[in-house]
Amino acid sequence: MRRALPTGRAGRAVQKKIVEFTNLLRKSGIRVSVAEAIDSFTALDELSVEDREIFQDVLRTTMVKRSEDIPTFDELFHLFWSGFHDQLRDTLQNALSGMGGGAIDLDQLIERLRELLGQMEGSDLDLSELAAALLTADLTQLENLIRQAAEQAGTARIENMLQVGFFSRRTLEQMDAEGAGAQLEELMRRLVGQGLSEEEAAALQELIRALQEALRQAVRQFTERELQKQNHDYIEKFRRETLLEKSFYNLTEEDIRRMRDVVARLAQKIKNILTIRRKREKRGKFDLHQTLRRNMGRGGVPFELIFKQRRKDRPKLVILCDVSSSVANVSRFMLQFVYSLQEAFTKIRSFVFVAELGEVTDVFSEYDIHEAVDRALDGGDAINVYTRSNFGFAFHHFWQNYLSAIDNRTTVLVLGDARNNYNDPRAWCLRDMQSKAKNVVWLNPESPGAWGFGDSVMDRYVPYCDVAEECRNLRQLSKFVDRLVL
Amino acid sequence: MFDSVEQVRESLEKQGYICDKNIATVVYLAEQLEKPVLVEGPAGVGKTELAKVVAAATGRNLVRLQCYEGLDEAKALYEWEYSKQLLYTQILKEKFAEALAGATTLREAAERVGREDSIFFSERFIVPRPLLRAITAEEPTLLLVDEVDKSDPEFEAFLLEVLSDFQVSVPEVGTIAAAAKPLVFLTSNDAREMTDALKRRCLHLFIDFPGEELELRILDAKVPGIDRRLAEDVVRVMQRLRELDLKKTPSISETLDWSRALLALNANELDEDLVQDTLNVILKYEGDIRKAQGELGKLIAQKTGQPVPEEPAGQGARVAAAKKGVLH
Repeated sequence: MRRALPTGRAGRAVQKKIVEFTNLLRKSGIRVSVAEAIDSFTALDELSVEDREIFQDVLRTTMVKRSEDIPTFDELFHLFWSGFHDQLRDTLQNALSGMGGGAIDLDQLIERLRELLGQMEGSDLDLSELAAALLTADLTQLENLIRQAAEQAGTARIENMLQVGFFSRRTLEQMDAEGAGAQLEELMRRLVGQGLSEEEAAALQELIRALQEALRQAVRQFTERELQKQNHDYIEKFRRETLLEKSFYNLTEEDIRRMRDVVARLAQKIKNILTIRRKREKRGKFDLHQTLRRNMGRGGVPFELIFKQRRKDRPKLVILCDVSSSVANVSRFMLQFVYSLQEAFTKIRSFVFVAELGEVTDVFSEYDIHEAVDRALDGGDAINVYTRSNFGFAFHHFWQNYLSAIDNRTTVLVLGDARNNYNDPRAWCLRDMQSKAKNVVWLNPESPGAWGFGDSVMDRYVPYCDVAEECRNLRQLSKFVDRLVL
Repeated sequence: MFDSVEQVRESLEKQGYICDKNIATVVYLAEQLEKPVLVEGPAGVGKTELAKVVAAATGRNLVRLQCYEGLDEAKALYEWEYSKQLLYTQILKEKFAEALAGATTLREAAERVGREDSIFFSERFIVPRPLLRAITAEEPTLLLVDEVDKSDPEFEAFLLEVLSDFQVSVPEVGTIAAAAKPLVFLTSNDAREMTDALKRRCLHLFIDFPGEELELRILDAKVPGIDRRLAEDVVRVMQRLRELDLKKTPSISETLDWSRALLALNANELDEDLVQDTLNVILKYEGDIRKAQGELGKLIAQKTGQPVPEEPAGQGARVAAAKKGVLH
C-alpha cells in the first residue's frame, strides 16, 4: 500500500529539510527507512511544528528506534534544526548593539526607514530581496536567502576547514551581497534627499556597514556549520575505528564504558548463536504416555497429540583465562569479555590461571565489572599470580579437580598466549578435555606465525582445539563471534 | 480521543501517572496515527503502567499478552476447544443418527457428515487468546504486549503480521478483521534487540529514569502523606545511586517502595542508620549494597555536617603486601 506524501501543515519546505536531515542521520549510522521518514510527515500533520520540543519528539519517535542512538540524534537535531536561526539572530543583534551611535534609537530608525521605503514604493529604485531583508532585519528571509545561495554555491560539498573562506565567498557572490550593498548606499543618498537629517544619515551609514558585516559573519557561520555536519559522521566513525583497533593498554574511562557495551553485545550474540534451536527437528517422537494422560478427560480419545519435546540445548561454558603478566593487558580485556559472558549465560564457570588455577565464578557474579576484573587479575584470592605461567600445570590441575564440570554440552574457551616457560605442556590434559566437551575454542593474542616459536607451545595444543584463533583487539573478537554464526 | 499533547499529559496525570512532554507526545501520536508504540527503558520506570493508564484515560479495555520464551500462536491467538467439540458430538449423537438415517452407502453418509462439519470448526469452538480478543473486541481496546523481548524471534515475526493488518486468518473459519483497530503498546527491557521490521512499524518511546524534579512529583502523587523533606532526601539519594555503576540500578518502583517503607517506619528524615537498615529495599545485590554504603555515608554526612569517617585502609595494604617479594 502506497500513500501519497501528506502535504498538510508541515509543508514542502519542511519536508525537504526533513529528508535532508534523515540523510544526515543515516550518514551518522542511524538507520532511517523511507517509511519512517514518511511517518514523520504524517505525524507532523497532526501536530504543530512550532513547538520545537514537540517537533524534536516527533522526529525522534518516528525515526530513532534504538535507545543507544538517542544521544546522537539529539546532538544532530541541535546541529541541524535549532542552531542557525538563533545564531543568526545573535549575530545581527551583536552587530547592531556594537554600533556606537547611542543618540539615536535603532528601533525608531528602522521604523522610520520602513516608512520612507513605503513612500518610495513605485519609484525606480528596486531593492533586491537581500537588501530589503537586511534593512528590515527579517531573520527568516535572511536565513532562506543564505540557504539558497549556499546550495547554489555547493557548500554541501565542503570537506575541510581550509575551504570555509572559499565557500563563504562563493555564497556571498551567489546572493549578490555586493549588489545589495551598492543598493543600500544608493538608497541612503536618496533618503538624504527626502529629508533624512544629517544625524540620522550618519547612523544609517553605520547601520548599513554593520549589517553588511553581520551578513558576512552569518554566511561564514553557516558554512562552518555545514562543515560540522559533514564531519560529524567522520568523527564518529573515526572514534569507533580506533576503539576497534586499540590494543588494550590505555583506554580512557569513556572507552571502557563504550567497550563494555560492545563486549556485552558480543556476549549476547554468542549466547544467541549457541541457543539457536535446530528447527528441522523441532518436534520429537510421538509421546504415547503424555498423549494418553492429556486426553484422559476426553475418554482417552486422542484429540491432542503430544510429541516429545527436544530438550533445548542449553549451552554450558567453561572459561580458562590466562592472567599472567605476559598477557596482562589482554587479560584485562578478555576478563571483561568473560564477565559479560557470565552475565549472559546461566551455566558458566570461569577460571583464571598462571600456574595454579582457581575458580572466579563467584567473584564475577558478586562484584561489578571493574572490581571483578581487578580481583580476577589478582587471582581471585585463589591463586598466586606472581609466578611464571605454566599452562601444563594449570591444565593438569583442571584435569584433576574440575574435569567433571565438562560434559558433552560444554564449550571450553581458553584465553591465553600458550607461552609456557619451557615447562611440560601436558597436552594430553587438553585432549581429555576435548574428548569430553562439545568443543574447545582457543583465543590467542599472538599471531599464528609466532605459535610454536620460543617458549610458545601453542602448536602442541592446536590439535586438540576445534577452533584456534588470533584475538588481540575488538575487531578480531567481533570477527570471531560473527564467524561463529556459520 | 485527545485534542492536544497537553491534554494527554493532564488526563494521564489524573490517572496518577506523571510524565513529561515526550511521553505525552508519543501517546498522542499513537492515537492519531493508529500506530503501535514500542516502549523501551530500564526495568521499573513505568512502561507497563503507562499502557494501563492510557487504557484507563481513554476508556479502553486492556487486553494483556505477557510474553515468555516458548509463547506460541496457540497461547497468543486462538486454540480449538477439543473437549467442547467432543462433548457436543456426544450430546448430538442422536441428531447424527437422524441425519444419517436413510443413507444407504458409506459414501453418502460421509457426504452428509461432511456437509455439517463446519459446525464443529466455527467460532463457537474457538478459545480466543489475547490477540484474537483484542482484534474481535467490540469496544475500544488497548492491547498490551508485555516484555516482547522475552518472546522467540518466530513469535515476533508472527506478531508483525498481526500488527500490520490487524487481521488474522483461521484456516477453518476464514479471516477475522478488527472492527476497530486496537491501540497497541509493546514493552521491552532490551533483553534482545527487536528486528528492524518490527521497529519500523512502531513509534519508539524510550523512558529513562526521571530527573529530580519529575521524580519528586511522581513521589508526591504516588505516596500521599509523605513528608516534603523526606521526599526530597529520598529523591536525592536515588538520583545519586543511579550515578553509581551498579549491577541493578534502582528504578522509580524502588523509590516508591522505599518511601512507603520509610513512611511505615514513621520516618520524617533520612539519617545514616535508617538508610543502612532499609537499603536492601532498593538494592538487590550484596555488591551493590556494599558499594552504595560508602557513597551514601558521605552524602548524608554532608547533609548533616558530620565528618566523614575514613575508609579502612586494610584491603589496599593487604594487596600491596602480597605484591611484595614475588616473582614477575
